[in-house]
Amino acid sequence: MSFIEVDSICKKYKVSKRKSGIPGMVANLFVPKYEDKEAVKDISFTIEQGEMVGFVGPNGAGKSTTIKMLSGILYPDTGSIHVDGMIPYKQRKQYVGRIGVVFGQKSQLQWDLPVIDSFELLKAIYSIPSDIYKKNLDRYTEMLDMDRFINQPVRQLSLGQRMRADIAAALLHSPKIVFFDEPTIGVDVVGKDKIRSFIRELNAEDQVTMLFTTHDMQDIEKTCNRLIIINQGSILYDGALDGIRQLHGSARQLDVFFVNDTSVAAIPDVEIIEADKRHSQLLFDGTKVPINDLMSRLLSTYNIKDINIAEPDIDSIIRKIYSREKVAC
Amino acid sequence: MLKYLAYAKKAFLGRSAYRFDHLMGILSTCLQFFIFYEIYRALYGSGDSVDGITMSMVTTNFVLSLGLGAMFSPDDYYLPRRIWDGSISTELLRPISFPGRMIAENVGASCFNLIFKFVPVLLIAIFTTGMEKPAGAVSMILFIVSALLGYGVLWTISFLVQMTSFWLINIWSLITIKDVLVNVCSGKMIPLWFMPVWMTGILRFTPFEAIYFTPVQIYLGQLTMPEMLTKCAVQIVWIVILYLIGSILWKQGQKKLIVQGG
Repeated sequence: MSFIEVDSICKKYKVSKRKSGIPGMVANLFVPKYEDKEAVKDISFTIEQGEMVGFVGPNGAGKSTTIKMLSGILYPDTGSIHVDGMIPYKQRKQYVGRIGVVFGQKSQLQWDLPVIDSFELLKAIYSIPSDIYKKNLDRYTEMLDMDRFINQPVRQLSLGQRMRADIAAALLHSPKIVFFDEPTIGVDVVGKDKIRSFIRELNAEDQVTMLFTTHDMQDIEKTCNRLIIINQGSILYDGALDGIRQLHGSARQLDVFFVNDTSVAAIPDVEIIEADKRHSQLLFDGTKVPINDLMSRLLSTYNIKDINIAEPDIDSIIRKIYSREKVAC
Repeated sequence: MLKYLAYAKKAFLGRSAYRFDHLMGILSTCLQFFIFYEIYRALYGSGDSVDGITMSMVTTNFVLSLGLGAMFSPDDYYLPRRIWDGSISTELLRPISFPGRMIAENVGASCFNLIFKFVPVLLIAIFTTGMEKPAGAVSMILFIVSALLGYGVLWTISFLVQMTSFWLINIWSLITIKDVLVNVCSGKMIPLWFMPVWMTGILRFTPFEAIYFTPVQIYLGQLTMPEMLTKCAVQIVWIVILYLIGSILWKQGQKKLIVQGG
């Protein structure tokens, strides 16, 4: 049995459908209309202990709902979840003592109190032994560079500082599993780097199992080795990060810069991803369209200043996957 | 247990942060009391007693039920607020019982109110009006016990109402109806002695008279020993029934839970 086992879970929401304005309101008052929205449909996956998994998908894909079910807050409508031999939503009280959750958009700290006071309250709630509390606190303070703001009230922290404090708060009780829901949202480049290296170090040293949702593919590239892509409530891809590149192994990305404002005419089997005034980005499959032909065609037709060929970056691969229905896994 | 104590302490300390609000709380309780007091004084006129109920008994009823009401005020919006703004999700991540935490925080706040609201109101009332003394030492002790049980009934009614917010999200109207029922049917506004017989007959089967009226009757020594013990037992039964229904709703509600706002 795997450490985390998710077996075909579904979750539906009732969404109130109401026309705008006063007529809509009156109509809704007498005949309320609801629509079922399937936030998660039939998702299954397993995660082993110590794995670090990236969980990506566009907004509204069902990532947060899945994380909330995994952390015992929401009940799945159908299907089951087992984590470390426990059923999160049924044994919530026991279970949440062993996990840590970071919601990038919702702080779990006490707004009016200094950071350290929030930590003290958590120490009491989780019954953390004093020696472990002290050890963790010292370690995280150093790793996340919290010295300067640990005695300030949370409401006076910058977003990056608050996020680091939130991450430390979620880890004070040495959880075996940590769920990160967009931990780098709104954080600057330096802050992101700090958070990423902290997460990497924790996974490497303590064998903490991690599931990580984000919109920043850099986060995934720098921390995770496995990737799950989800859209409209279903899994599109589940596998190694390198695997997704290999899926598109023969794909090439061609950036063309023109001397004058130019727009490229359609070329068979070549996708035009971006078209600015003096720059176009083309994507093509190297086995179908010989580079030689394409280049000579471009050079003979247009007045070109510079050309750049590369493997497509992870962002554009993901973009392609989002817009498509399902990838063979 | 220590965890819950930490929450009770937090609530106790949190109360002291808003001094103006707390002073106004004392003032509004006293104001309510004096309005009722003056109305009944005018009604009594020069008469000594109505149906065997003296003015000083009525005064005692108001001092005690308004005083206890100011001290035990369950936060009716504790759960609804958290469901409405979605912060229920982070609260559920704590390894403690949520109802347990609701009680702990309310007990912390009530302890604060005991010292800084109930006692001042009681002192003001004692020095300005003719309030009865407790009927005896036994009555006094049983009064304290049944006042605490009355708080239990009041809290479990609030608990039950709050649980409906899983389904209804906004339950302001329900809470208002509950408040009216509690205020009228518990004797906090009209002493239950003056209610028509058919009404008290109905009220006997509701939890409302167990909130303030039972402790008041015990305090005044209106009940015999077996009656007092029976009434306290009835209070316990109400607490158990209301809490059980509330817990079932809590279990079911978690399955229905919607986390608003992402």
